[in-house]
Amino acid sequence: MIGFDWLMLAEVSFAGLGSGGLYALAGLAFVLIYKATRVVNLAIGEMLMMGAYFFFAATSSMGWPIWIGIIAAVIGSGILGAVIERLLIRPMLGEAPISVFMITVGLSSILVGTVELIWGADQLRLPDFMPSDTVLIGEAMVSPKIFYGFLAAVALIACVLLVFRFWRGGVALRATASDQAAAYSMGIDVPRVFSLTWVVAAMVAAIGGIIVGSISSLSPTMGVFGLSVLVVVIVGGLDSVPGALVGGLLVGLVESWTGTYFGGEFKLLATFSLLVLILMVRPYGLFGTHEIERL
Amino acid sequence: MKLSRWLTVLLAAAGIALAPAAQAQEEIVIGGSIPMTGVFAFAGIGINAGLQDYFKIVNDAGGIKGRKIRYVFEDTGYKPDVSVAAFKKLTGANKISLYYGDSTAFSRTINPELERLGSIMMAGASLATEINDPKKFPAQFMAGPDYSEQIGILLRHIAKEKPAAKVAIVYSDSEFGRDPVNEFREMSKKLGLTVAVEIQTAPGSVDVSTEVIKLRRADPDYTIFHGYILAPIPEFVTQMKKSGSKSHFMGTFWTMDSSTVMKMGEAGDGFMGVMPYRYYYDTSAKAPMLDKIRQLHPEYQNTPYLQGFLTAMLFVESAKRTLEAGKPLDAKNLKAALNSIKNFDTGGLIGVPITIKGNSVPVGRIYRADMKTQKMVPASDWIVVE
Repeated sequence: MIGFDWLMLAEVSFAGLGSGGLYALAGLAFVLIYKATRVVNLAIGEMLMMGAYFFFAATSSMGWPIWIGIIAAVIGSGILGAVIERLLIRPMLGEAPISVFMITVGLSSILVGTVELIWGADQLRLPDFMPSDTVLIGEAMVSPKIFYGFLAAVALIACVLLVFRFWRGGVALRATASDQAAAYSMGIDVPRVFSLTWVVAAMVAAIGGIIVGSISSLSPTMGVFGLSVLVVVIVGGLDSVPGALVGGLLVGLVESWTGTYFGGEFKLLATFSLLVLILMVRPYGLFGTHEIERL
Repeated sequence: MKLSRWLTVLLAAAGIALAPAAQAQEEIVIGGSIPMTGVFAFAGIGINAGLQDYFKIVNDAGGIKGRKIRYVFEDTGYKPDVSVAAFKKLTGANKISLYYGDSTAFSRTINPELERLGSIMMAGASLATEINDPKKFPAQFMAGPDYSEQIGILLRHIAKEKPAAKVAIVYSDSEFGRDPVNEFREMSKKLGLTVAVEIQTAPGSVDVSTEVIKLRRADPDYTIFHGYILAPIPEFVTQMKKSGSKSHFMGTFWTMDSSTVMKMGEAGDGFMGVMPYRYYYDTSAKAPMLDKIRQLHPEYQNTPYLQGFLTAMLFVESAKRTLEAGKPLDAKNLKAALNSIKNFDTGGLIGVPITIKGNSVPVGRIYRADMKTQKMVPASDWIVVE
């Protein structure tokens, strides 16, 4: 391997892990909803987009400071999550999963339309708020936005894992996810848990949206990012938080290596090949719950 | 009453009845599938305003050989199927001679229909190289250089500024992005430039860090972006500049609107690109048509507006030449009239007189972003692709 550019491999791998962190963050929002409510939320990319637009409205349009803008975007997204759950998802409780799935497909169109009505279809730029100097890990250069975005994503995922482990609401959520009937019988307010899940997931998605928007740009097509997230959560396991993390990092790395050594046109091919491979070996994803359904 | 007198009365009555119809036929109807909403709305709204303004100027001055222009359009949302439906609806309800189409997909889809009808000449927002083929697209044209010609203009400028320079192209994995890549390779070779790297980005990709790593290692003197409006260009430029790269960054027409480039912020300072028209605020030379536009609109008008305006000028000039030759307004005659345009003065919209031999106007100029004044300033003379 004399002559192989190891430094480039290191830089590319760091970049892959960085973007994988963002996938993991968005994947976390998806998994939270699926885990608690069994809803496959195809509008996750658009929820992420809404968070970024709320941030844009607070900082660029209202002129608020960055940190207040982040808090406003997170709260705004939380409220949006609650409204979505109350108006669109809760009335569908007990209906066929495909019906709820189609509701989320419609929801994504509604959110895109709302953004186009309020902010238009043009690409917008978020104010630069992350440090802009290149980060050096050893001799390897890493993009600052990706580096700090990755740190934020890991910190948030760690927070969510701790909340699940120790907070009463988190325990209620896990109980609901395991067995709804048993959770009811133990006095857990299951509809409230559903609401809480959508609120928390929307808030997590908002942070993901702000980071993704600051790396790229804002536009109503930003929700396409959600498609990559779908791959991540299927690879990791639809109901597994650690799965979202591992799946995100894995997809990020594979995309990064493929893009560098084979070309950008092979990225999607590699990602979906990975998906097929994982599904053939582990149909429930790397960490997904293996359910046996008897008919 | 004698039979002959009856006939005279009947003919007179028929004449009165047909008079409004005859008058309506006097109008020249121009149609348009315009993306007033959707992802291309920023361009569609400008294009529409440019077309409308020039038609109004012509109508206020008495029309084309006394015939007024009537412009009819439908919003397409930048969807080819909706564009085709709009075309069918508008051509079904009006006798249209000239038409504006909104995309390459529409230009390609509607081409057999244009050939079948034989009555309409079309121009549009598409600057795709394949449309610039008079044999395959005999009834179409574009009011600017196609993407390959734009790359040619950029490379000519580079070869003049720094002979034997290392050049790179970063393009999106889309039909739009891939369009001029062959021309980039061939023209670079012809001009003695070295291709440092070609980088393709996946559509909708958010993070371009890995692509930046590749670009940084290739260390090009010039980097051309194509197939994007804005993202991911600012991220490329920022990361490259932060890593100490001295590369000059360039774009093609749809990136080059002043407001788009200014969104790049500080990192965009010095960003260059090819522009077929003078910017709205460019007062570096006499431009009576731009003066007129500035009188109509004291506020900035974007580059798609100028594209729409010039397209309208070429529509009108073709119709005028056809009528002056006493020929009917059909696709063949209109296109022949368009191709008879030699050394045409655009009133300063383009800095040199234009000649249209094929389906494009192969002229452009390099402009550079000056973030201090928040304006694009000329960085080259006008370059004509032969």
